[in-house]
Amino acid sequence: MRIPSPRARLAQLGFREPSRAAACLEELPDAWRGTGRTALVEAAARAADPDTAIEWAVRLERAGVSLDEALADAGSLESLLRVLGGSIGIAEHLERHAEDLDVAARPMPPAPAERYVDSLLESVDASAGIARKPRDEAIAAMRGRYRRHLTELVAWDLGLDDPAASVDVVSAALADLAAAALEAGLAIARAAARERYGEDADRVRLAVVAMGKTGARELNYLSDVDVIWVHEADGVEDPRATQIATLLARETTAACAQFQKAPPLWEVDANLRPEGKDGALTRTLASHVAYYERWAKSWEFQALLKARAVAGDAELGTAYEAAVRSKVWESSSREGFVESVQRMRERVSEHIPADEVARQLKLGPGGLRDIEFTVQLLQLVHGADDESVRQRGTLEALDALAELGIIGRADRDEFSAHYRFLRVLEHRIQFWRMRRTHLMPVEPDELRRLARSAGLPDADALTERWQAVRRAVRSLHERLFYRPLLGAVASLGHDDVRLTPEHAAKRLEASGYADARGALGHIAELTGGVTRRAQIQRLLLPVLLGWFAEGVDPDMGLLAFRRLSEALGESPWFLRMLRDSPVAARRLTRLLSSSRLIGSLMERIPEAASWLDGDEQLRPRSEESLREEAAAVLARHRDDREALRTALRSLRRREHLRVAMASALQRIDESTVGVALTAIAAALVDAALTLHTPEGLRLATITLGRTGGREIGFGSDIDVMHVAVGEGDPIAVATTVIRKVQETLADPTLPFELDAALRPEGRQGPIVRTLESYRAYYERWSEPWEAQALLRARPFAGDAELAAELMAIIDERRYPQELPAAAAREVRRIKARVESERLPKNADRRRHLKLGDGALSDVEWLVQLLQLQHAGHEPSLRTPSTLEALAAAARADLISDRDAEILREAWSLATRIRNGLALARARTIDVLPNDRTELEAVARLIGMPARSALALEEHYLAVTRRSRRVFDRLFYDA
Amino acid sequence: MDKQRDFVLRTIEERGVKFVRLWFTDVLGTLKSVAIAPAEVEGAFTEGLGIDGSSIEGLSRSSEADVIAKADPSTFQVLPWRGEIDPTARMFCDIATPDGQPAAADPRHVLKRTLAKAADLGFSFYTHPECEFYLLKSADVHHPEPVDRAGYFDNVPGGTAHDFRRASVRMLEDIGISVEFSHHEAGPGQNEIDLRYADALSTADNIMTFRTVVKEVAIQEGVYATFMPKPFEGQPGSGMHTHMSLFEGERNAFHDPAGQYQLSKVGRQFVAGLLHHAPEFTAVTNQFVNSYKRMWSGDEAPSYVSWGHNNRSALVRVPLSKPNKAQSARVEYRGLDSAANPYLAFSVLLAAGLKGIEEGYELPEEATDDVWALSDRERRALGFTPLPASLDRALQHMEESELVAETLGEQVFEYFLRNKREDWQRYRAQVTRVELESNLLSL
Repeated sequence: MRIPSPRARLAQLGFREPSRAAACLEELPDAWRGTGRTALVEAAARAADPDTAIEWAVRLERAGVSLDEALADAGSLESLLRVLGGSIGIAEHLERHAEDLDVAARPMPPAPAERYVDSLLESVDASAGIARKPRDEAIAAMRGRYRRHLTELVAWDLGLDDPAASVDVVSAALADLAAAALEAGLAIARAAARERYGEDADRVRLAVVAMGKTGARELNYLSDVDVIWVHEADGVEDPRATQIATLLARETTAACAQFQKAPPLWEVDANLRPEGKDGALTRTLASHVAYYERWAKSWEFQALLKARAVAGDAELGTAYEAAVRSKVWESSSREGFVESVQRMRERVSEHIPADEVARQLKLGPGGLRDIEFTVQLLQLVHGADDESVRQRGTLEALDALAELGIIGRADRDEFSAHYRFLRVLEHRIQFWRMRRTHLMPVEPDELRRLARSAGLPDADALTERWQAVRRAVRSLHERLFYRPLLGAVASLGHDDVRLTPEHAAKRLEASGYADARGALGHIAELTGGVTRRAQIQRLLLPVLLGWFAEGVDPDMGLLAFRRLSEALGESPWFLRMLRDSPVAARRLTRLLSSSRLIGSLMERIPEAASWLDGDEQLRPRSEESLREEAAAVLARHRDDREALRTALRSLRRREHLRVAMASALQRIDESTVGVALTAIAAALVDAALTLHTPEGLRLATITLGRTGGREIGFGSDIDVMHVAVGEGDPIAVATTVIRKVQETLADPTLPFELDAALRPEGRQGPIVRTLESYRAYYERWSEPWEAQALLRARPFAGDAELAAELMAIIDERRYPQELPAAAAREVRRIKARVESERLPKNADRRRHLKLGDGALSDVEWLVQLLQLQHAGHEPSLRTPSTLEALAAAARADLISDRDAEILREAWSLATRIRNGLALARARTIDVLPNDRTELEAVARLIGMPARSALALEEHYLAVTRRSRRVFDRLFYDA
Repeated sequence: MDKQRDFVLRTIEERGVKFVRLWFTDVLGTLKSVAIAPAEVEGAFTEGLGIDGSSIEGLSRSSEADVIAKADPSTFQVLPWRGEIDPTARMFCDIATPDGQPAAADPRHVLKRTLAKAADLGFSFYTHPECEFYLLKSADVHHPEPVDRAGYFDNVPGGTAHDFRRASVRMLEDIGISVEFSHHEAGPGQNEIDLRYADALSTADNIMTFRTVVKEVAIQEGVYATFMPKPFEGQPGSGMHTHMSLFEGERNAFHDPAGQYQLSKVGRQFVAGLLHHAPEFTAVTNQFVNSYKRMWSGDEAPSYVSWGHNNRSALVRVPLSKPNKAQSARVEYRGLDSAANPYLAFSVLLAAGLKGIEEGYELPEEATDDVWALSDRERRALGFTPLPASLDRALQHMEESELVAETLGEQVFEYFLRNKREDWQRYRAQVTRVELESNLLSL
């Protein structure tokens, strides 16, 4: 057997840079050679970072710190090197404070809180709560003593076999130590106050109430210490009393945080006090109480959850605790609670720099804050009824919630373990350099050190475990908050959660459900029974409930989901899709909680849920394939009129739903919506015409208006004009056919109106004419405005040749070589009159999406006037599409690019809002809503972020103001 | 905030206040007031007070008739003029919609929003207005007569005006507004009160208070005060020259010891913004038909877009700040008149200045001559364009302004234009004395 060289041996032992370690060892004094050196190397090899451990051992020795005593005992040596290889921060402290070497070498379990207090008071030579050492000396002594105890704690922490099991003990000791520092700081402050104010200073009592992690006794190694100051004066009047109290608070803070030769301990943060930064630094108890009674916001109560008197006047501190605690537990019934909880939840993931998201232990999805948020929310919701959940600490609260049966014990065990694991990592990352950080390292060596420090074999094991924990924590909110709701409505037998219906209702209200009872009913229906569907829904619903709660109308979403689920029954694909495709489930909840139209259509076409799995099925179908399908339907059901009607109807509903979903999910824009809806209408009218037109009659339908331009929205009427030729009395026959077509296509759920009002002579004229009749009419009677209506004419359905013949007649009229000035004037005059007459009574002309200022009809009239004037000699203008014609006009320099863009933006926005409104409300609405909830719904459906109601309103008004100015100038000033 | 609420409740108790007036301002700049009992004050802070918005100019959309007035406790003051018998206090309010959002048409909100925009760029905005007004012998609108004919108060026997001055200053100081008071040299019965430099929101609140106090004191003294921009032909109009500065934290952003007149680059860009956009926002700073009679009367009101140093004919004046007084660096906009809605006027001035900074506008050449004394051709050659000649022209300019629309918000913008066009229509419909005198008999 070969004896390995010293360097190879070092490498074997886990040193990363054996040469450097060997060089270090060379520097050691003679006394260390031989067995001493072997012991040293072996001890270092057990440290998290062996190289650093050796390096620092040598460095200490060189600095004159004798390690001899530690060397004498194997246990001591091991402990010391664990500290040197686990915390450079402590190693640096030892370099300056050799006297603390003993505690690093002989770890002791954390002491009770009183011992820390006694020790730190003793360090400043306090008597009756007043420091007798001079200020600066006292501060240095106090900080030195604090660090001695900190060293003790790190040494003990690093020596633990299972640090996670004791992470709560460490955190509590850190909080106790911080409290002791505040107590000693106050003693220093008292000395200063007496100097300044004499005996009056002693008549002002001051209590330090810790908040946040200090209050909850779950402090980090390095964190701000959150406090609130309370004072009470006995026989000293204001303002003197407040001045004294303020001085005490300031000086205590300075003792801990001011820059001095001995480095500060941590920041003392008093910003959680009433009124935050702007408020008085300290208040009397009565003033605190008055504040919380009157003005406090819900989130301030969440902070109070952790309040604990930690230093100063104990009686006053206890009185404060008692006074505010009752207030905390009324907060979930306060106004604005839901909103403030939602904001809080958003804050959990806000403001994290993108490059840090993946490394954050604390913030972001799957971080410590996620656990804390859910636990605190559960406490606020349930704490009003159950005193036992009124715990300050996260782990204690988890225990209490499980004890009470409102979360599961298995969940408690799991998340407690996750919480402990994350805190162990956080502690080790922090005490490595005694820096305040929550970021996981990235370098492999750093990861390895962290892994060893936390008792894991290597970097891979660490990364794997951490990712698993993050994944689990991400689902925590659903599992702890929503899942137990299921237990409240059905006895599931195997679970130990016993949530009462009252509990459950409160949780639902806290997350934004307006009708919690109704929602519970839906949950009961969805999860009751032993079917496979119920089983899977029990699994999924907790997640879905959270997603619905993020929508505009969670109640509507849940109800629609229930209907959908009932309609789909045991269809295995549906549940599988929800379970296996997070995208589909997310989309489904979003659609159902924001669009009434989609909810009601899905109730009839539940299988549409299957389209959500990807984008393939959300692509609108081409007119050609729709016509083919309609023809096939016709062929199948020619003998059964009722079955045929039903089949055509469901074809139309289904395709509408597809377009609606695609639009609400921002997969297609408003132009594509127009094209798709027009294609559906055309295919159906064509099928119905084919069905009803008898032998010997030729019948064609052309379309006008927005359908002509393929620019309709959900719920738009279809403008049409019919032409017929045939033997006998073709007009009479055709009139009957058209009536039958309308009957066939009628649908009460999704109205389908064929509007022939734009035909010659309007409502007075016959519904259908022969070619000759059209020709004669246009030759004799045609007014300029009728030519205008024809601009958007286009063959639509029925006999294509006949339609083409009619179009030829129309083409002769609609693109005159020259528009006489008088005709242009007439068009302008008609528009001016229409503006004042057609707008519905009481309608606000700034908000009417169709006829209002700068809205659809303004843009269309302007484009049509340009077409009438120029299409005769500019063929590119000959298109039924408003936007195409507008673009062509800009290309032909008939209108500036800038003006064209302003008009296009207004037209598109108005169209988009009309579509959004139709999706939200399942009917056609032509006015921008005033109601902010409705505006919010529309804003989301057209793809704006949450809380954009006001922005949408302001945007629409600005865009149409600009387009109105352009219209005014170009249309009327010619 | 809450310290202030406590202070309000305590003061009401201690001073035995019987009524609290909630003040707010409509779009046109008229002060509105609702009185409530002390017991309702707490509610006015938390829930606010429901008022019928449809009865207030421009405040609410027709469909949203109810608005909520939420008292701002930092503006609480006991009103001195009610005496100790029935003590009354006032607070300014913010107007909100029933769901708690700021009402789009609350001028105070318009200013707050613009100030927030400045804050986003790191600036706070300070103003110092000099308000002129006339004291009249009575409220006779057909034959208005100033209280005196002389230049200086002290030369006037009889004492009415003297008492008025003393009473106003004391009352304003009682209400926490410290002022400098002077009699104007030029106009008989014309006075000027300078408000202290303060942040623009406080100054605007103070202007509203100050107008009320002056009118109240005048009535007590048996005279009448008017802020009409041009009440007398042949006498100077009442302007409200306003000094402005931007601060970045503690530092005056307009000051640069190396700059011309110690004006910093930011200051120059701010002035450039004011000049560039002045024609667009003149309808806001000079909002009445009558405003244009002050502007175009040929005397001291500036009517051409120009800037200068110690040039009283320029629209914007840049005084020299003393080297040891960096904090006092400022620019003075001389176009504003005393009848402007201060919230909206400060908003557009600030927005124009900020635009100049954001876009880096270049400042044109300084006007060193007396701009009024130049001929039209000379002014054209020098690039001093005229401000709008009438309310009608001013509205045409404003209509085209993205800056003003964005600053006021679409709804105030729309309402303001509509309302002012109606004013113009009414004015144009009348047959004036001048027409009758020159045409009736001769034609």
